Amino acid sequence: MIISDNRFFLSSTAGVVVERPASSKWIFQVSENGFLQGDFLQVNGDLDISVLLNGIDAKCELNCGYLLNDNNKINIKIHVEHKCSKTISNQQIRGLATGNGEACFNGTITIPHNSQKCDGHQNHRAVILSDTARVLSVPQLEIWADDVKCAHGSAIGPLNKEQLFYLQTRGLTESQARKILLSSFFNHFSSMEFDGIIQDWMAHYV
Amino acid sequence: MALLEIKDLHACVGEKEILKGVNLCFEPGEVHAIMGPNGCGKSTLSAVIAGHPSFQITQGDILFKGQSILNQTPDVRANKGIFLAFQHPVELPGVGLAQFLKTALNAKRSFLGQAQMDGVQFMKHMNLRAKALGITPDMLKRPVNVGFSGGEKKRLETFQMAMLEPDFCILDEMDSGLDVDALKVVGQGLSVMREPNRSFMIITHHDDLLQYIQPDKVSIMRDGQIVTTGGVDLVHQVEEQGYDHFR
Repeated sequence: MIISDNRFFLSSTAGVVVERPASSKWIFQVSENGFLQGDFLQVNGDLDISVLLNGIDAKCELNCGYLLNDNNKINIKIHVEHKCSKTISNQQIRGLATGNGEACFNGTITIPHNSQKCDGHQNHRAVILSDTARVLSVPQLEIWADDVKCAHGSAIGPLNKEQLFYLQTRGLTESQARKILLSSFFNHFSSMEFDGIIQDWMAHYV
Repeated sequence: MALLEIKDLHACVGEKEILKGVNLCFEPGEVHAIMGPNGCGKSTLSAVIAGHPSFQITQGDILFKGQSILNQTPDVRANKGIFLAFQHPVELPGVGLAQFLKTALNAKRSFLGQAQMDGVQFMKHMNLRAKALGITPDMLKRPVNVGFSGGEKKRLETFQMAMLEPDFCILDEMDSGLDVDALKVVGQGLSVMREPNRSFMIITHHDDLLQYIQPDKVSIMRDGQIVTTGGVDLVHQVEEQGYDHFR
């Protein structure tokens, strides 16, 4: 199964200047009160996203997913810079990895000295479905201001056995339970088109 | 014929033997309370009946409706009519309760060769039961067990049981952590489910829940074995004297 390209869906670019210097590279400049909301689904290769929150109350919500199989290599780099006070960012990254693939997530939130009252969140979760797939996570916070909220989390592992058992005691087969748990993983995406791609991928690789 | 029969059941986790020859018999319609000190194997017993993969059965058998279920996966046991209400229900982020229950209910129906429930039938089936247990429409939309209080989780377990209408209900410390009002809701929810063909195995430490669903039998478990079986007076004996003199 080949998914020809990596997908994206920008549901809000209000007050956002979008640059795409290469097919895998995105730069978003979000001005005062601007709102960036974007979904990205990566099946191979690089994805490099920079978000600059340039004005007060600028907001961004990034939902990234990746599906790793065979000998593919995925490299996701996200950098969010809170260049102004009272800016808000939220990144949710979800991945499924099988085969001999290798994925690397490198995510940075930067909050400089003068950017107070900012709120930054980054959460990366990946499920490893084979013995040989590899996922590397490098979450980083660079915080220089003192009155901010910032959190990051990263969890990589196999499917939770207790969750599988719980679903099975309700009458779902192991395969149904796996599918429910893995699909639920991606329900932060706003694009319906991605659902189809994820379902096809799971039907083929899970 | 007994609905469920446990014969000389031995079960281990790794090298450690937890069940050391359990014998129990549940007649159709019977409510059977299991009591015992912490760590005696009550929760292991309930997990083993439901088919938890972490336990190895080294000896003995479990017969459900006359057939051994030891080689069956948890989903087959569930669809045949065994339901486990968890002491600590796991959270399923992103899995909506209503959608999950519809999948579960239809999995059971297709297993039993019955027609699938459509959206309207399912909503009727669900709303009736939700109302009785004080499950709000908002709770039905939320992900399963995520952000629910201890009492709400127990109410949801009772609700799922009412939805799936099992023949054999295992309640693992359903009453722990419940306030008096929540206990009443759960207790009443259980008592209306009492039917001539449905049996209950109620694991508990107190007689609070049993006031709502009076047991026919009470068994005391110690160190992986059933040491005594008797009537409801055993509950009061435990409450007054503890477990020490049951050997």
